[in-house]
Amino acid sequence: MSLLQKYPAEVKQILSKYPADHKQSAVMPLLYLAQRENGYITGSAMQDIAETLDMTQTEVAAVVGFYTLYLDKKEGKYRMQVCTDLPCALRGADKFLQDLCGNLGIKVGETTSDGLVTIEAVMCLAACDKAPMFQIQSRDGLEYHEDMTVDKTMELVAALAKSGREVA
Amino acid sequence: MDKQVTLTIDGKLISVPEGTFVADAARMADIDIPVFCHHPKLEPVGMCRMCLVEIGRPIRDRATGQFVLENGQPKIQFLPKLETACTNRVEDGMVVHTQSESAKAGQKSTIEFLLTSHPLDCPVCDKGGECPLQNLTMAHGAGKSRFLYDEKLHLEKRKPLGELIYLDQERCIQCGRCVRFQDEIAGDPVIGFDERGRSMQIMTSSEPGFDSVFSGNTTDICPVGALTTADFRFGARPWELEEFPSICSQCPVGCNITINTRREAAADGSMVIKRIMPRQNETVNEIWICDKGRFAYHYTESKGRLTRPAIRKDGKLSRASWDSAIKLAAENFAEAGKNFVVLASGRLANEDLFNLKSLADHLKGDAVLYSEIGGGELTSAIGISPDTNLGEVGPGTTLVVIASDLYQEAPIWYLRLKQAVRRGATLIVANPRQTRLDDHASYVIRYAYGDEVKTVHSLDKKNKIGEAFTRSENVIIFYGSEGLGVEGSAALASACAKLLNEYGFAGKPNNGLVGVWQRANDQGAWEMGYRVEADLPRFLRGKVVYLVGVDPAGDDPRLAKALENAKFLAVQDILESATSELADVILPAQAHTEREGTFTSGERRVQRYYPALPVLGETRPDFAITAQIARQAGFIQEGTSVSAAFDILSETIPSYAELSYSKLAEVQPQWPVVGRGDLYYGGTTYENKHGLGAHLTTTASRGENVHILRVHRESAPRPQENELLAVPVTRLYDRGTTVLPAKVLKNRIGKATISMHPDIAERLNVKNGGLVKISFDGHSGEALVQIDKTIPAGVVTVPRSMGLAIHEPVPAKVK
Ligand code: SF4
Ligand code: SF4
Ligand code: FES
Ligand code: FES
Repeated sequence: MSLLQKYPAEVKQILSKYPADHKQSAVMPLLYLAQRENGYITGSAMQDIAETLDMTQTEVAAVVGFYTLYLDKKEGKYRMQVCTDLPCALRGADKFLQDLCGNLGIKVGETTSDGLVTIEAVMCLAACDKAPMFQIQSRDGLEYHEDMTVDKTMELVAALAKSGREVA
Repeated sequence: MDKQVTLTIDGKLISVPEGTFVADAARMADIDIPVFCHHPKLEPVGMCRMCLVEIGRPIRDRATGQFVLENGQPKIQFLPKLETACTNRVEDGMVVHTQSESAKAGQKSTIEFLLTSHPLDCPVCDKGGECPLQNLTMAHGAGKSRFLYDEKLHLEKRKPLGELIYLDQERCIQCGRCVRFQDEIAGDPVIGFDERGRSMQIMTSSEPGFDSVFSGNTTDICPVGALTTADFRFGARPWELEEFPSICSQCPVGCNITINTRREAAADGSMVIKRIMPRQNETVNEIWICDKGRFAYHYTESKGRLTRPAIRKDGKLSRASWDSAIKLAAENFAEAGKNFVVLASGRLANEDLFNLKSLADHLKGDAVLYSEIGGGELTSAIGISPDTNLGEVGPGTTLVVIASDLYQEAPIWYLRLKQAVRRGATLIVANPRQTRLDDHASYVIRYAYGDEVKTVHSLDKKNKIGEAFTRSENVIIFYGSEGLGVEGSAALASACAKLLNEYGFAGKPNNGLVGVWQRANDQGAWEMGYRVEADLPRFLRGKVVYLVGVDPAGDDPRLAKALENAKFLAVQDILESATSELADVILPAQAHTEREGTFTSGERRVQRYYPALPVLGETRPDFAITAQIARQAGFIQEGTSVSAAFDILSETIPSYAELSYSKLAEVQPQWPVVGRGDLYYGGTTYENKHGLGAHLTTTASRGENVHILRVHRESAPRPQENELLAVPVTRLYDRGTTVLPAKVLKNRIGKATISMHPDIAERLNVKNGGLVKISFDGHSGEALVQIDKTIPAGVVTVPRSMGLAIHEPVPAKVK
């Protein structure tokens, strides 16, 4: 079932915010809607959105590809997105990321075997003075974790595994 | 003229139009500012940072707005950092340094950055030798890198984006030219960027991939070897290629092309065409060509080329000398008198068509153009006239397209009209079903198949469209043959011509009637007085027919039958065909790539093409063969020098008056500058050094009286209860003899596909992509079904030249 069929009111409300000849602007909120649905954006959702907005599927996919918060494949329950941009790198982000991966036994971009955590390296998240830092993206939303160490992070992972929910 | 702005670049004082970018201003003054992402035909993005320069601006007094002076000179303020020349527009008094130490350091660093992850596999790269990255690295690079070689990314080197274009991910420098071309110029945004930063890559998520009729152009403007065509990939090194200027023979646009050839071991050491490239002509195709023009050339090297004359003896065709073949043809033609018919193709040169027509006139026979579109004589009367330039029309001009799908029939016209709308022209598209041009139209008119003339009659009625039409300063109407046969299109042409004439949209630049013909030089045939014949099968019976460049027997079984019942057939062509099998005499001709000649485009521009390949076997140029036959029949024609043949033509046909080969070879400076040493700027499009061609005059522009006959047309046939109305439509990639031999286009050509409304499909119980049998007029064939909700109910569209012999609307049964 397409997004439009499933959430007609919500889609209509989103579209109503933009002038009819600029309806492409609705691509971001519609992608959020699609991501909320499955935890990631499926190819058929992109096709739906492209058709609704008179865009090509490639244009929609390019928006998904550009933003790190959009996901186009199924990944771990929690996406741990570590900033490795320049200021963070100067505060040891690279080493932090490397050690963290070592501890979890996965590489950047991979998911732990229990499907709990995916590790990603991302661009600046605007918390440069509190590196090493990452954000956790999950169905519960977004959460920042700043001034982190590998130990603190492993504790966090253990807690996530136990509760099934994100902890502060 | 645009307002001029004066600035100084590297100490040189120059004046350029207001709004020009610094990078382009420098180019105009012959100063090199290196660029990668910037392209003079695209909007600037400032993505690559290659064009870094120092820009100083005069300080103005806030109160008076005057320049602040220092030692009598305006005081210039420079920003503390470098700026991109491609995104900053010129200002009066601006001072630009492109060669200062800091500018050079900036350019050097950008190259160094770009090379941090470039494979540098130049020795095996198709672009090597004509590569902007190579050239700019030599000119501006550091020579050494401070980065680690081991940290280069290793990515896919052979990623098909579609079946025609391959991507080498390692070579891409993320300039975005290809993406922007598809979006801004082609209007087909089917490639884009995935990810960002160092992970950024070109991708397509569209189905079926990079499928755009303009895709080849991205390989010309890609500044590296990241995009290559399936046809030329690993085909040759640029420095091995020879270049010959020519004109595309695939459609009436008349794009200027360059044919690149090379001597090849695989072809027993003979010269072969390696690729077709665009050649700049800003009044015709700018610097682009479509994929059909780029890839369909393979027919000239087809195995089925006719290379020796032959004569039918005891029922069998056997080899003959030129003398005996010409003698036999001439005798039969001369004897036939008014039973003599020339049936000629619009892919012949003007000189060929002229000799053929005067032979027919001399023998009191008939000269017929093999075409399904009528009304062409009206384009000669009030077609577009000298000084028309589709590349410049804008506000005040209304463009009307009726009964034609330009994206399929004349792709570069589609581009030009789309760009004209961007500049402010009004576009009215009238067609019974949706076409690609609708997206760019100011007004779309949907009418029922059969209501073409009625639609034209209402174009000046009191509504918004009528106002756009009548209030316009200039109007050009493009008429085609969608859903129409010879008579229907002639009626449409007459209605359009009457309307244009009534409002004075004729006889002056940027006004008039354009036919969207089926072949490159149909216009030339119209100018020379050819006519078309609505009922060819009946007409040909019992005649002595001189068939030149045509294959009626292969196109339609009814025509094959008519030819079997003709009295005598002389077939002059380049390829073996169903028609040549029926011939009494075969006269092998040279392909347009092997000889010299001229075509008249649908815009009525006469353009020269030059020989690119050596002569094959015993073939001769068409005009020469005809002249030899004429001489044998006691009538002298020019058969040796093609330019002399053109001179006689121009003395005889009023619209060509005063044109000559030397006039057609004249060039003028064109903007943007392309070719030469700076391929990084415009891409690998060739510079035009061999002629921009010249426009024909019209009856109206010569101030003579124009007579437009009203053409009555039988109303379209009414399908019975269990029938549909089958209407012909034209597709770009068809099974024509000059397309089919191109193997790289195999998937694009595909199978005959008919389109119908979903309700009809449901009634017939067929699915999208399903196979059906369609029969009409005693003819039947198989076709795939495409469901399209914009097709009117009760109608099925049938593509021409795809194995279903449709010439006009007919009732059809679909099962
Ligand atoms: S493929 Fe070529 S044109 Fe396209 S972004 Fe890469 S380098 Fe630029
Ligand atoms: S638009 Fe027509 S003339 Fe131009 S390249 Fe394509 S087929 Fe040839
Ligand atoms: S660089 Fe990491 S948050 Fe800004
Ligand atoms: S940033 Fe100016 S050319 Fe790319």
